[in-house]
Amino acid sequence: MNVLAKTLGFSVALVVAFGAVAYVLPQMEGPAPEQHVVNLDELTMESFVAMGEDLYSGKGTCSLCHNALGRAPDMLEFNVTEISLQRIADPNYEGSAGNTEEYLRESMLQPSAYVVAGFGTKGSNDTESPMPVVDKAPLGLSILEIDAIIAFLQDKDGEPVSVPLPVATATVAPVAEVTASAAPQGPEELIVKFGCAACHAVLDSQAALGPDLNDIATRLSAAEIRESIANPAAVIGDGFIVIMPEFPAMTVGELEMIVAFLTVADETL
Amino acid sequence: MMAFITPRRIRRARQSAGFLATVPTLIAFVVLACGGLATQVSAAEGDDAVTGVSADEHDVARTTAASLSPAPTPQREDYPSIGVSSRGIVWVIAQMHLFFGALVLAVPIFVLVIEIIGFRTGDDRYDDMAHEFMKVSLTAYAITALFGGTLALALFLLYPHLMSYLMTAFGSQVLVYAGLFFLESMLLYIYYYGWNALRYGNRKWLHLTLGLLLNGVGTTLLVVANSWTTFMMAPSGVDPETGAIVGNIWEVMKGPLWNPLNLHRVIANVAFGGAIVGAYAAFKFLSAKTPEEKAHYDWMGYSSNFISILAFLPLPFAGYWLMAEIYAYSQQMGILAMGGILAWLFVIQAVLICTILLAGNYYLWTGMARSEGADRYRWAIKYIATVLILGFLVWVTPHNVIYTTAEAVKLGGGNHPVLGPLGIMPAKNIAVFLMLICTFLSFQLYRRADKVITVSWQYWGNALMASIYIFAIVNIIFAGVYYGYFTNTVYKVGSSVIQVMSTVVVIVAGVVIDSLMFRGAKTLHVSWGRVAERSQYALFALPIAFTWLMALMGYVRSSVRTHWHVYTVMPDKSADNFIPTLQTVGNMVTLVTLLFLAFLLFIFWIANLSGTRQLPVAEDARSQHAGAVT
Amino acid sequence: MTEIANEKKASRLVVWLLAIVVGLVIFYLLDHAVMGMQGLPLNWDLTPAQ
Repeated sequence: MNVLAKTLGFSVALVVAFGAVAYVLPQMEGPAPEQHVVNLDELTMESFVAMGEDLYSGKGTCSLCHNALGRAPDMLEFNVTEISLQRIADPNYEGSAGNTEEYLRESMLQPSAYVVAGFGTKGSNDTESPMPVVDKAPLGLSILEIDAIIAFLQDKDGEPVSVPLPVATATVAPVAEVTASAAPQGPEELIVKFGCAACHAVLDSQAALGPDLNDIATRLSAAEIRESIANPAAVIGDGFIVIMPEFPAMTVGELEMIVAFLTVADETL
Repeated sequence: MMAFITPRRIRRARQSAGFLATVPTLIAFVVLACGGLATQVSAAEGDDAVTGVSADEHDVARTTAASLSPAPTPQREDYPSIGVSSRGIVWVIAQMHLFFGALVLAVPIFVLVIEIIGFRTGDDRYDDMAHEFMKVSLTAYAITALFGGTLALALFLLYPHLMSYLMTAFGSQVLVYAGLFFLESMLLYIYYYGWNALRYGNRKWLHLTLGLLLNGVGTTLLVVANSWTTFMMAPSGVDPETGAIVGNIWEVMKGPLWNPLNLHRVIANVAFGGAIVGAYAAFKFLSAKTPEEKAHYDWMGYSSNFISILAFLPLPFAGYWLMAEIYAYSQQMGILAMGGILAWLFVIQAVLICTILLAGNYYLWTGMARSEGADRYRWAIKYIATVLILGFLVWVTPHNVIYTTAEAVKLGGGNHPVLGPLGIMPAKNIAVFLMLICTFLSFQLYRRADKVITVSWQYWGNALMASIYIFAIVNIIFAGVYYGYFTNTVYKVGSSVIQVMSTVVVIVAGVVIDSLMFRGAKTLHVSWGRVAERSQYALFALPIAFTWLMALMGYVRSSVRTHWHVYTVMPDKSADNFIPTLQTVGNMVTLVTLLFLAFLLFIFWIANLSGTRQLPVAEDARSQHAGAVT
Repeated sequence: MTEIANEKKASRLVVWLLAIVVGLVIFYLLDHAVMGMQGLPLNWDLTPAQ
């Protein structure tokens, strides 16, 4: 029993001692990003820039790498506008930006378009950037947020902000503003691309060779719509015959977009 | 023809039958392993496994309608709640399952090796020790399964959306996992209970084959379960836009983090398992009544420590590979772990690993008392201890702490001018690799302590060994200081591989040179059992630090996903989707470690109990002490 | 006797010198090989070539 008491006492004391180490270190909590709606009517340039600064060290996680430790250029330490113009003028620069705003936006949406010397992925000889694309997961910054960060970066050095203040009536500008290799299309373009209107009543078409898609959401669930496109012969509507083709070239992203569009189609009319 | 088949030949063939049974099994394993490696390499070279399948490459026609569904996006109100933190529940149960799983997978690995050593040397001590280790593992096996089942129930109850997504991703692979347990149980029971029945000759070969198969199935179970973990961290075989499962099961399993985690866990399991059985041996040593018992358990403790430290040495390299792959997959994820909010956990890690190294070294130093030849090397101990302590101090130094404005003004910046540079990776790498080299030196001196080397070229050998030590140390410091502080980031990161390889050179050279120099060496007497009691406490410190470290690193691995269930694909909107404070983490890890201790005591007690036999109660007073007899 | 002792001392010195040279060479070559394999070439004086 003596042995058990001694060894158990030693063991428990050691475990608790390790736990105590956690108490003397700085305590930090890492909240998950919350979504809040920005009231565009009340937005001023000042608050827009402040939002950008928040995003820089918050949701954008820019300061995680862009700091003095050398992983990425420390943008808080130099004049971003001046340096951007220098980078564009660099003979190695092969991107398509012509001014600071375009350069910053390109750096965020296509980081590998131009990699500053010494910061490329190991072994890529500065052709590949380790920076994530900011409008994709896990960052998922919106157009509004990207613009706010650009505004902050311009404003912090006292330079003029070229980013316009977002207005309430502006629709979400598609990413296609920056020439990307595969410009994403909206659902309407996809419906045209795959020729749905040739047989189905959808958008402006009145075709009746296949079921009416304008109110398809009242008859089929999203899963059923998805299956109907992926495997047209699986379930045939009453009174119709099997003539719907398959779409081997349709990608999953495109399919999803069409399904999402069709499930709210009756609301958009 | 019939004259060829003589009775003698038949007898010889039957004797070789066992050997012939083992060899094909071994070959089959090697072929399977190579096949597995080859498919891993080829999959990794394609885009699919590493970057996630892009929507352009996998089109709709190849996949089933069900799996085309995007990843679910439950909102906070969709999560079931049973009144206490769901994350807390799953955390405790999962960690307990992982502790016991590690133990029951690790023990058969080194038991098989020890059994083979016993078989080759003909020394019964090894075989008996191997058998005794298996006894501990057997009780733990049931507890592992219990926690596994409870974990599955907890996960399905508390995170149904995530689990339905994972079931879609992995499909029938989970049934394969369940089915493998039948095989594992069968092999385990035959291996343990058939030990004495399959003791010699041909049957021993059969027993060894069973042990090999047991390890094969166990390792398969590990890598299958690992694929779920790594899928959540770095999903592969999914459409990055929607999370739809577009790849087949191999593409889903073979993500960029799968094999690094596999390697890390296999090695770490062995280190952990060795430490646990070492604690068992230490406890039995301290409770031993006879000198034979003391000698037996002292030797067992030494063997366990040997296994543990031996497996521990390559662990930093495996961990480094895992971290490097995390960085390659997502630099953001990597920096979050080591430069962002989770970085403070690595300060605690420093404390734990230094405890492990100090305990392991201390055990070797005190163990040198067993042999009178050790006096030659005692002078080195204080220098090794100094390097270990200095290394610990450097490793535990953070890059910066939260200063008040006044303090920051006094410092003239965000970092301390002298201590700040010690907080980044190059300094830590120098510290840890020097500590590893010193640990190996302790080990090498211990092995030499009970021998007098007689080979003619010993002066050459010793001079070469010393030179390799000196220049490895110089190289590690040079690479760390020069490339770490005076060149750009890529060279800085690349220089750590120099440090790794320098350490590997020391270890390999040490093992090779010593094994050559020990030929024909005069062995001095080793008094097993003649060792200070305090040395056994080192054997308790080792598994405690390992357990705490394992829980801590498991938390890091899980937390690095931040607010994602499946990184970039399925966000976590539950009430626990934030990164908790260090105190919370410390409390949880302490809790699971204490729980594990309690269960471990139970297991040791059961292992002990199964060997006791009560004497029949007699009528007369003489046999009144009819108690347990061991 | 002193001659033999001196001889022994001299040969030991040779052994040590050789051992030092071998050690230096091993790690010098190791540095070049390891950095080269990662696409980070070094100059002869171990400075980065890129």
